[in-house]
Amino acid sequence: MGRIVFAGAMSHVLDPDYYERACGALGRQTVVAVMAEIARMGERLSARRPDALIVVADDHLNAFSFNCVPAMCVRIGRSVQRMAQDHAEAFDKVLDHMPTEYPLHEELANSILEQGVAAGFDLALSWEAPVDHAFLSPVNTLHGPRPIPPLVPIFVNAFVAPQPTARRCFAFGQHIARVVARSPWSVGIVATGGLSHFPELSLPRVGETDTVFDRKLIHWMEAGEHGPLQDLTADELHKSGSHEFLNWMVLLGAVTPARAEVRYFGELPRINMAAVEWSLS
Amino acid sequence: MSRYAVNSLLYRLKKDEAYRARFVENAAAALADVDLTDAERAAFVARDMRRINELGGYLHLVMSIPGLAAH
Repeated sequence: MGRIVFAGAMSHVLDPDYYERACGALGRQTVVAVMAEIARMGERLSARRPDALIVVADDHLNAFSFNCVPAMCVRIGRSVQRMAQDHAEAFDKVLDHMPTEYPLHEELANSILEQGVAAGFDLALSWEAPVDHAFLSPVNTLHGPRPIPPLVPIFVNAFVAPQPTARRCFAFGQHIARVVARSPWSVGIVATGGLSHFPELSLPRVGETDTVFDRKLIHWMEAGEHGPLQDLTADELHKSGSHEFLNWMVLLGAVTPARAEVRYFGELPRINMAAVEWSLS
Repeated sequence: MSRYAVNSLLYRLKKDEAYRARFVENAAAALADVDLTDAERAAFVARDMRRINELGGYLHLVMSIPGLAAH
């Protein structure tokens, strides 16, 4: 019987140069601190020798543009490529030094997809979508020089309205847990993004965060109170700048009722940085 | 306002290096065949990413077009 052996969630622009440009010395110091915690989480992940690592993250209009924006999409196939961007800027630039290709766990991805559709989740699938910083910045920070296990990238539409609901993301996470339990594999799961940044996706509000909202999310995660989290609305997530918490909702469904342990929470003017791990019995 | 027109243009500017070069050289000419409102066209010609964002341009696109990005 398979099991989830590691669960962690974290911010996903993990680059000291980016945050120094955006927030000065405090930006560098904060992201270095959260990256150190994420690296320690990665040591625990690797020690559990996962057969696969599920990564739940959002696309930033890089993989999916205007031909199709899937609510939830399972990346299948044998390997996935890093997003290519000429003269990359800002959050795209963090990818520059990273490996360009990553193996996938084809059987687990297909199981999540096929059993999901059979169970009523109308999932999209992709053989070609590349992955951007939302996937690769955490994956590389977690592993450092160690080998990265075969990935199962899962895209959640966090930005282009109408997004899937928090409740539906949670239910999809519960589905993932059932698939893993029926499988022969030890699986890690990582959700990325957030916490609060870019409220209302408005350029004049870049530089604002909603720490009161984030502390509420953290309280519920620490207490294992997943009911109020499933009640979060698209409007609340949009106004607070916690759009990407939908990725975390998938993870929460996969590990419920486990309680979260906050490894790092740090406020910056541009974003609240977080790294959280779940105690799994 | 057309969210599609604005964003597909932003996406093209991000991903199509040759088109981006034409836009930098002469924005009005590069936009000649693009279906935009007058307000949208003026914002692109002025490279006013804040206004483009107000007109429906997705934040992550206006923040990441090489050489044109708002930060």
